Amino acid sequence: MNMEISTNDYRVWVEGAKIHYEGTMRLSGTEAYAPILSLMNDVLASKPETICLDLTGLEFLNSSGINLLAKFTIEVRKQPDIGIEVLGSKTIPWQSKSLKNLQRLHPALELQIN
Amino acid sequence: MAEHLGSAHLENSASAKNYRIVLVADKLDISWHHCGTTSDFLGEYFSRACGAGVDAVDARHSIGYLLNEILENAVKFRETGNIEVICSLENGRFEAGIANVISRETTDSFQKHLNVMLKKDPGELLLERIEANALDPESGGSGLGLLTLMNDYGAELGWQFEDEHVNGHVRLNTIAALALS
Repeated sequence: MNMEISTNDYRVWVEGAKIHYEGTMRLSGTEAYAPILSLMNDVLASKPETICLDLTGLEFLNSSGINLLAKFTIEVRKQPDIGIEVLGSKTIPWQSKSLKNLQRLHPALELQIN
Repeated sequence: MAEHLGSAHLENSASAKNYRIVLVADKLDISWHHCGTTSDFLGEYFSRACGAGVDAVDARHSIGYLLNEILENAVKFRETGNIEVICSLENGRFEAGIANVISRETTDSFQKHLNVMLKKDPGELLLERIEANALDPESGGSGLGLLTLMNDYGAELGWQFEDEHVNGHVRLNTIAALALS
């Protein structure tokens, strides 16, 4: 299982059921984000009790990346026995603006922006 | 024939702080990374110009996100030629006009898309679009850029289409405005 994707701009890596994101992700569309989605789906397939997306190091995400998070949230929503927690930071403006959409998609999603 | 869709208009005066950048197609071989580097630069530039009373971190990010999304569309859908970016800032109002040339075919499908989009609530449409994207693994673009700008950033958006008679192409000018706080 590929546990880490790293470029000059961003890094995504997995620790148990926690997926960390760091840097700036402005990939060109659904296809470009596919390897990251596949890494996330691998974590989901391991059926943990709760999946945590730690976005506290993700400075910038374009709308295709927001689509990636939304798509994954819908995948998790299909499995009511798996919880999802999303960690954000108040110092990164896009997170307070856009992450609430994930909660609208899946009200059981726990969103913490600290 | 010129056609205008959406509500945004450029209102800042001639004495507003402004900046103009042309991404020159021939010289630059315009590609994806130019969206990010250009929007980062302009976000930084205008956040330093917005003065007291405006959250500079939020301004830098919001301007950067707005310009990046519109530039990504310009790079993705442009037919030929340069991409011109004109920005201005006055009394906490940031405005951008991004102009590029698209094909007649792209114009027709984009206008159809906008006419549907502008009739609905952007928040509802955003969720609808996300659900539709999740069901369609083949969809290449997310279509969320403009919707997140309207719903999450409160941006005003407008589009001017002008026929270029020489070659049958259309010049698209995307207008965007943000109230910085």
